[in-house]
Amino acid sequence: MSITGVRAVVGVECMKLAAQIKTQLVLGLCIVGPFLFAAAIHMQSSLPTDTLFGRAVKESGFAVSLVVLGFAALWVVPVLASVVGGDLFASEDRHNTWKMLLTRSRSRADVFVGKLIVALGFSFVAIALLAVSSIAAGIFIIGPGSLIDLSGIVRPPDEAWRRVTLAWMSILPAAFTFTALAVVLSVVSRSSIVGIGLPVVAGLTMQLVAMVDGPDLIRRLLITSGFEAWHGLLAAPLFYQPLLRGTIVCAAYFVICIAIAYDRLRRRDVAG
Amino acid sequence: MTSRVALEAIGVSKRYGSRNVLNEIDLTAERGSVHGLLGPNGAGKTTLLRILLGLVHRDAGSIRLLGRPLESRGGSIAGDVAGIVDAPAFYPYLTGRQNLAALAALDRDGRSSRRCSVDEALEQVGLAEHANDRVAGYSAGMRQRLAVAAVVIRAPRLLLLDEPTSALDPRGMRDIRALARRLADDDTAVVLSSHDMSEVEELCATVTVINGGRVVFSGAVNELRQRAPAAVYLVRTSDDETACLVASTHRGVKVTAVERGLEVSADVAALDAYVIALGCAGIAVRALDRRVRSLESLFLELTRPAADAGTAAAIHDAHHNEASPVLS
Repeated sequence: MSITGVRAVVGVECMKLAAQIKTQLVLGLCIVGPFLFAAAIHMQSSLPTDTLFGRAVKESGFAVSLVVLGFAALWVVPVLASVVGGDLFASEDRHNTWKMLLTRSRSRADVFVGKLIVALGFSFVAIALLAVSSIAAGIFIIGPGSLIDLSGIVRPPDEAWRRVTLAWMSILPAAFTFTALAVVLSVVSRSSIVGIGLPVVAGLTMQLVAMVDGPDLIRRLLITSGFEAWHGLLAAPLFYQPLLRGTIVCAAYFVICIAIAYDRLRRRDVAG
Repeated sequence: MTSRVALEAIGVSKRYGSRNVLNEIDLTAERGSVHGLLGPNGAGKTTLLRILLGLVHRDAGSIRLLGRPLESRGGSIAGDVAGIVDAPAFYPYLTGRQNLAALAALDRDGRSSRRCSVDEALEQVGLAEHANDRVAGYSAGMRQRLAVAAVVIRAPRLLLLDEPTSALDPRGMRDIRALARRLADDDTAVVLSSHDMSEVEELCATVTVINGGRVVFSGAVNELRQRAPAAVYLVRTSDDETACLVASTHRGVKVTAVERGLEVSADVAALDAYVIALGCAGIAVRALDRRVRSLESLFLELTRPAADAGTAAAIHDAHHNEASPVLS
């Protein structure tokens, strides 16, 4: 594997993504979606009281971002995390372009790492856009009011936005793990439908498992436990244990998924 | 002194499950020449080319491309090795120019003096007018041309082509053959798999014939030609019965009566003598067409299934169901 090789693959994959309407549409929705949500909240009289920070969405724009975060973690983030990762490898099978890609003097390791970087990069960009857009939508439409955290302490705007930003960042390990899951499913199945669809189904299933009254160990071993770790960042005193535990669990899943995916791609005979 | 050998494959084997697709194949190609790779469908030509391009992993054997060993798993092929295998495929949502730019970006740098630009390559293959069209709208022939352009921008020293003219119109075929010849003249080694014997005869100096995953011939085309049995001609005369009797007095002439005349198997000199003898005997020759070329008949003999053993006449019969027993 060489850095120049990986860089070349990243460049080509970015060019391909930029040319696809799907990519533009998803990123566009990440920007527009939170504004539409904030506008809808602003116009209606009732509040989403069944969600964390739902009662505060008309008082603080930061609460809007946290409601978006809580909702997105259910299924939007698995979709964003797998929409590119689940297609990047399988699309080469769909278009029958592996033979063209792999005969251009870049090793399979270069191609794999380059594509993985792009998949993770897309997940990061999509979540970052969603985070920035939701904070901006809250501030512009609702206003930058102080945020009352989960312990009932009022956080002034300059502290609130820092904590909200950290909350969004805390879901990145779980999001990247869903991307890795999408990659391995995409490589193994050679199908974009499986690569994109199965991680979303897996995410929803994990959320359901977490809701039922099962053993705590199982809940802790779910990738989606990383989506709830941000609660500890909006409490007093702060507690990081769920975040740390979730990150370790996600890292383990990530390494396993990537190792399997790379091994399958390296061993694969590209025929037909 | 630099070796002239551009491709050296020794003992290459490949199995899919219990099926031996390639069995200890040896293949050598030299710079500045076109090497033909011949064989019937399923002989293993495409698998061999895929292995040489690193797409399929070999189970045994060693391969050196331009003096560098090819890893058996996961390695990359050198920047000056290029190939077209199977039907060319590109990203349909990108334009022809974008596809080529992407491929050029994936090539290693360092040979900029030989490489040509994307626009030059598109110009060379006659796709300049369609460069900004999405590949989704390209015909099979246009995709084949784009694949050739993808090879051209690489300025290869070793080029592997898998039936490159199969999807092309006559003009496209002529262009591809000219390209292969031009690259060979420019000291590139070209390996070309084909079913078209005339194409191989026209382009190739050396040839390897594969059948059932084994090499059944490897050497110069001239050598192959010398080993070839006599060509087969369809002759229509004014008196086929007497013409058969005349043939019985000529060495090297084998005549078989068929529905539309006589099938005559003979080399050119024997055929000339036979036709003259027919004239002397008062028999008019109304038509004389070559049915099977000499190299083609040898190809058929070399690549017939193992169970189908027999004489050249038997092969000949197998391809001409209407044949009646040999008369002379």
